[in-house]
Amino acid sequence: MRRRVGVIGVGMSKFGKRDDVSVRELSWEAIREAFQDAGITQRDVDLVVAGSTAYRGVELYPAPPVSEYSSLTGKSPIRVEAACATGSAAAFTAINSIASGMVDLVLAVGFDKMTEVDTQTSLAIGGRGGNYEWEFHMYGTTFPAYYALYATRHMAVYGTTEEDMALASVKAHKYASMNEKAHLRNRVTVEDVLKSRVISWPIKLLDSSPISDGAAAVVFASEEKIRELKIDTPVWIEGMGYGSDTSSIARRGEWTSLRAARDAANMAYAQSRRSPRDVEYATVHDCFTIAEIMAYEDLGFAERGRGAILLREGQTERGGKVAVNLFGGLKAKGHPLGATGLSMIYEVTKQLREEAGPVQQQFKNYVALTHNVGGTGHYAYVSILSR
Amino acid sequence: MEGIPLHLRYAVPEKGYEKFWEGLTRNEIWGTRCSKCGTLYYPPQRDCSLCNTSDLEWVKLSNRGKLMTYTLVKAKPQGYENQEDYVIGIVRTDEGVDLMCWIRGNPRVNSTVKLVTDGKRVVGEILDV
Ligand SMILES: [Zn+2]
Repeated sequence: MRRRVGVIGVGMSKFGKRDDVSVRELSWEAIREAFQDAGITQRDVDLVVAGSTAYRGVELYPAPPVSEYSSLTGKSPIRVEAACATGSAAAFTAINSIASGMVDLVLAVGFDKMTEVDTQTSLAIGGRGGNYEWEFHMYGTTFPAYYALYATRHMAVYGTTEEDMALASVKAHKYASMNEKAHLRNRVTVEDVLKSRVISWPIKLLDSSPISDGAAAVVFASEEKIRELKIDTPVWIEGMGYGSDTSSIARRGEWTSLRAARDAANMAYAQSRRSPRDVEYATVHDCFTIAEIMAYEDLGFAERGRGAILLREGQTERGGKVAVNLFGGLKAKGHPLGATGLSMIYEVTKQLREEAGPVQQQFKNYVALTHNVGGTGHYAYVSILSR
Repeated sequence: MEGIPLHLRYAVPEKGYEKFWEGLTRNEIWGTRCSKCGTLYYPPQRDCSLCNTSDLEWVKLSNRGKLMTYTLVKAKPQGYENQEDYVIGIVRTDEGVDLMCWIRGNPRVNSTVKLVTDGKRVVGEILDV
């Protein structure tokens, strides 16, 4: 990257079924917190990058109404979309706008109101998250079905079990119970997960992230601006890698790992001159429990096929070798598509600043990572941050 | 309050792919092969984007393959809500093409599969006992 970029403010709305707000109030909830956290106002903002998939809300072009409500009109010329990695696509655009020298202070805001349509419509929208003609139209794919194809193959090739996957859900719910902003705050057991309703075998209801409403906002600034504003706890972006893969899941040639995520991770490690061993805290994209296991492998925390061992041994719990998703993950914190990637940056920023309360991870070198996957591996972004 | 519903109706072009859709009515699965570089496309493409030519020929794929992975769909999307539960699989054909299909029979990863069509899609019948 040409210029160093840091995070100077983060905000996140409460995630959940938010029928008390429209997308405007919801987004402002996150933006207000990020502004207060950074100690800035709208006047300091050069550019706003909005991220939203918007397919499930009444507002199909939501960036202008959100900007208007938040008094940011005139500074928000773009909305980006990368399915479930939309929040990271907004961060990527914001970071590069600063790194290039074009602007000095950018607000990235991600939001989605996903509960405004019914569940069956939502499944039909998600099922189009591959290739309409060659997959959804002929075969009635759904988003859980896509990830289930990965789960079945991972189980057959590596001996991963439904119990292993359930452990990811148990962990997510345990930590979400300590997070006031999380969508699902109940604790669950392995038994609960195994007995829950089958959605698309081997994926069950409690293997799946909920359909959530939510918003997250991050204020990024150049190093010069950070000095000028006298920010004393910036979190630095050391690298942000990306990857992508075929729309048709059948054409990927393998169904135990996400190539897009591996490519993104390798790029981020190379940019930051870090290795998986350096990472002390990570947020990974656990939209389904199998996705958390694959993430450990794709990020190099475990060898291919051995991701479940980290869960069995508790290595990704608080105090473990690399703590993962201590805010509850997509699984239980919630997964409002546009907000997720930025809520990951919110989370690692809180952790690196040691403001994470009961779920604070102990750092030695203060290195953290975010892993955000879009679609069923169509897009991926991995970023490495440090204090 | 109740929002105004949005009804989307789509007209999807089939031009150039008639052979594929017709094949689905007689147990034939068709892909296309670039006559310049030999790349085999499935799903079929009218253009080879690798060598910028539209000179592709139709190729009938093998009706046998191996099941790579599958899932039993219980929660069905709009458009499929009246279907019985169905199994979606990915099958690797004898010539190495990976394709999506529905699966009939008792699936296991690596099962041998016979590929047929039901008029609307490719269906893989499990041959193992
Ligand atoms: Zn060619």
